[in-house]
Amino acid sequence: MTETLVAPERVDEHSTDEISDPDKPWLVIVWNDPINLMSYVTWVFQKLFGYSLAKATKLMLEVHHEGRSVVSDGSREKAELDCYRLHAHGLWATITRSD
Amino acid sequence: MPEIVKTSAGLTLKLDEQEAGILRGLTAEMRLLLEADVPREDEVIKRLFPPAHEDESEQQAYEELVGDELRRVKLEAMEAVERGLQEEGAASVELAEEEADEWLRLLNDLRLAIGTRLEVDDTKMERPFDPNDPEGPALSVLHWLGWLQGAMLEEMAGDPRAE
Repeated sequence: MTETLVAPERVDEHSTDEISDPDKPWLVIVWNDPINLMSYVTWVFQKLFGYSLAKATKLMLEVHHEGRSVVSDGSREKAELDCYRLHAHGLWATITRSD
Repeated sequence: MPEIVKTSAGLTLKLDEQEAGILRGLTAEMRLLLEADVPREDEVIKRLFPPAHEDESEQQAYEELVGDELRRVKLEAMEAVERGLQEEGAASVELAEEEADEWLRLLNDLRLAIGTRLEVDDTKMERPFDPNDPEGPALSVLHWLGWLQGAMLEEMAGDPRAE
């Protein structure tokens, strides 16, 4: 007998994700671009997230050399707000679920 | 060259008539870009209003949440710069912290718009000025805006040196 009794045979992948781990944090990623000044990007990280100059510089250099850097994380709501604030400052940011 | 001095109240920024004129022209162009019904596929619009989510349905939900807020804050920054520049002549502007922030964001949006139109990459950004280069004038403006933005940031990070 292969028929399942209680468990659904198939579930929507999206809803499984939501149900199985509602607190799964989201990551805010900033991507490299050839236009934004390094000093400006560093200043934005300090201003928006309250990071020290050393931490903001480290993240900026990660973006510059590796093409991207995770600059903050948290609930979906927080990640979306952080992403919005980065967009308001002209940085190229996206958010994604943490794996 | 623009004169930038940090004071106890913020920054004082002085632009001569020609410099102020360049910024007035660019700011007016930015107003057109932000207020006109520019197609979403426009590369500059895509760069100034990037998606937050890769997933289309997630992005749609995000856009419903954010609404027109991003356009509104960009317009506000642009209007703050317009007020500071006034209508003609040289400009001397006193910028408190929040206004300096608006100037930096507007200068950055202008650089993003010009740089995206020019399809700049690292090589093009480092290209030395050549009077025969058809993109030379636009690249010069891009670098001048960067110089101004960088000089403001540098001054803001230092100690006040004038009252």
